[in-house]
Amino acid sequence: MTMDAVFQIIVGGLTLGSTYALAAIGLSLTYGTMGMFNMAHGVLMTIGAYSAYVAASILGLPLFVGFAFALLVGMVTGGLLHLLVVRYMLDTPRFEINVIVVTAGVAILLEDLILKQFGAYPFRQPVQLAGSLRIGEVTVTAQNLVTFAVAFVLISATAWVLLRTRFGRAIRATAMDREAAMLMGVNADRTFLHVLLIAGGLAAAAGVLISAQTTLSPAMGTNPLLRAFVICVFAGLGSVGGAGIAAILLGLFEVAIQYTLGVQYGFPFMLGLVVVVIIFRPAGLFGHTVVERK
Amino acid sequence: MKTKQSRNSVLSRRGFLRSAAAGGSGAAMLAGMNSQAAAQSSDPVVVGAPLPLTGAAAADGIEFRRGLEMAADEINAMGGILGRPIQLAFGDTESQGDDVISSAGRRLVDRENAAVLISGYNFGSNSALPQVAADAMIPYLHADTVIAHEALVQSEPETFWGSWMYDPSEAMYGIGYLDFLRNLEESGQFTPPNRKIAIITGPIAYSINIAEAIRDRAADYGYEVSLYETVQAPISEWGPTLAKIRADEPGMIAMTHLFTQDQAQFMLQFMENPTNSLIYMQYGASLAAFREITGDASEGVLYATVIGALQDEIGMIFAEGYKERFGETASPNAGGQTYSALYAYAMAASLAGGVGEPYEEMQNRAIVERLQGLIFRSPMGTIRFNPQTQSAYSYPSQTDDPSLGLPHIFSQIKDSAQDGVIIAPSPYDKAPFELPRWMKA
Repeated sequence: MTMDAVFQIIVGGLTLGSTYALAAIGLSLTYGTMGMFNMAHGVLMTIGAYSAYVAASILGLPLFVGFAFALLVGMVTGGLLHLLVVRYMLDTPRFEINVIVVTAGVAILLEDLILKQFGAYPFRQPVQLAGSLRIGEVTVTAQNLVTFAVAFVLISATAWVLLRTRFGRAIRATAMDREAAMLMGVNADRTFLHVLLIAGGLAAAAGVLISAQTTLSPAMGTNPLLRAFVICVFAGLGSVGGAGIAAILLGLFEVAIQYTLGVQYGFPFMLGLVVVVIIFRPAGLFGHTVVERK
Repeated sequence: MKTKQSRNSVLSRRGFLRSAAAGGSGAAMLAGMNSQAAAQSSDPVVVGAPLPLTGAAAADGIEFRRGLEMAADEINAMGGILGRPIQLAFGDTESQGDDVISSAGRRLVDRENAAVLISGYNFGSNSALPQVAADAMIPYLHADTVIAHEALVQSEPETFWGSWMYDPSEAMYGIGYLDFLRNLEESGQFTPPNRKIAIITGPIAYSINIAEAIRDRAADYGYEVSLYETVQAPISEWGPTLAKIRADEPGMIAMTHLFTQDQAQFMLQFMENPTNSLIYMQYGASLAAFREITGDASEGVLYATVIGALQDEIGMIFAEGYKERFGETASPNAGGQTYSALYAYAMAASLAGGVGEPYEEMQNRAIVERLQGLIFRSPMGTIRFNPQTQSAYSYPSQTDDPSLGLPHIFSQIKDSAQDGVIIAPSPYDKAPFELPRWMKA
């Protein structure tokens, strides 16, 4: 294997891993703090991607405004998901199971609304950067660099907020023991709202960046959601920083397999690796205990 | 699923003549028969269309629906089928497998009372809709473009008498591609940098069959397969595949994985550091969405289809009318398929004396007999069926007479704002082949 090939694998793995990481952060956040596996996370990505498209292509706004608009719409949608659906379920028995079913229903509804509004024809995401950088025989596009940088910043920022701020402490306290947190003066309902606002924004950012490397289509969130779930399980459910590292590791592993054995073996081998890790570390690579909402 | 009543009951004389020309030899025949027919009933004829309106093949599915809408409006303006207007009913097969496809087809028969099923292509094993049609004893016209259809109808001709593939099987793509390369070389239009072909295929049998046809025959044409790569769908990260291509540069790259979005991403990433390779993409690049997503990077790409709109008089009138109605980004290549199929059915039903309802085996068999004998010059070329395989003959692979086979057309994108230009086969070629700008002369 030549150095160019090794470098190509690293670039490809980081690119793929970054998109996986972007998709996984918001999902990991909602599970880690609320015990909620949000099946609508994929469609939140789709909403973000289409919002950026509307802002940049239809309204003619500058690209960065399109990105900001997507974040705003993602946050509002995440907030509405909490206010209209999730908060009424928090006290129900078997919340963790019920919320999977309900958010899957919401996802189908929202995807169909997008389909109705925009049709199924694939569009190009206008919010993306042109240009590239050549290193030897390997080309790194500006969009790849942006995706990697944004994934790194968002993971770091989310981990910092959770671990270093008063707001993050409230979220973690609520996640550990909701009643105890409320006795300490934490408004649990508002905390959950904040979590879904953040998760909606993260999903929207992921949607814009992922669609820039693929295309816009109503079903574009399905595949990233599946990958994000695998990554969250591999990293340890609820470990935001771990999800980011796991995403990069799995991206590199998948691309290495694609290069050496063939593209069709990449995803199956990646799943095989996840199975092996879960057998020996049931809580995931970075998980210490199974998160349980009380 | 929804039912759509056809619009535009009246066309101007000029509009009528234009649509008559676009409808090929069928329009004039239909108009003539309608003028002499005493309508047996004014009840609409329900044409059921199980189409991939959502999912991976939606870009095509939408065009299939448009093609049917256009043909139905034109035929209705000429008096329908012996006085009975056509009413379209659509079922979404969601680009899914046999279970979803079968349900969509059965709903069209059971709930909408479809007298015929017409589609472009669907996925799955390609046996779901033939079975629905066989159970309901109605004709089913499709362009699945699979050899599995030919095997199915030949294995049980008495069961699947109603299923007709109005284009050739995918095997023609492999043979046609190699013939095309040889012709380019022999005519001096192209000298390959080397004899290597890199083949990239996808996860569905259709793409794999084409790739295998190229791989298995390449040596007969003096080529060597340097890479045979199977990818998943959807795929956005082409780095590993491109790294292999760049490590061992082939003179030709043949992409038989047909999803438009995936082909577009390949082309964008290829152009970041292109190799000296002639790129052929099977079908997906023929859609406007490919050019829209890829932009200038699409220029120079070759694509082929065994059923696509010709750029001759009949084809251009159709394409212009189609784009006028559905917008500049609409793709006549896909829409023209169902458009032609509905015309073919309308003619066959008119010649057979009327439409059959579901379970009216005798009348529906009469329609099928007329269909079998039809030589229909559509905007896509001549549709003529092989009665054994119940599929259309391909020109030039299966007949050397262009008036008796559907041309396997090769096009090259020369301007990303325009459809590709047909460069083969003669007499349908409209421009010569040009060396893509990323290749060294």
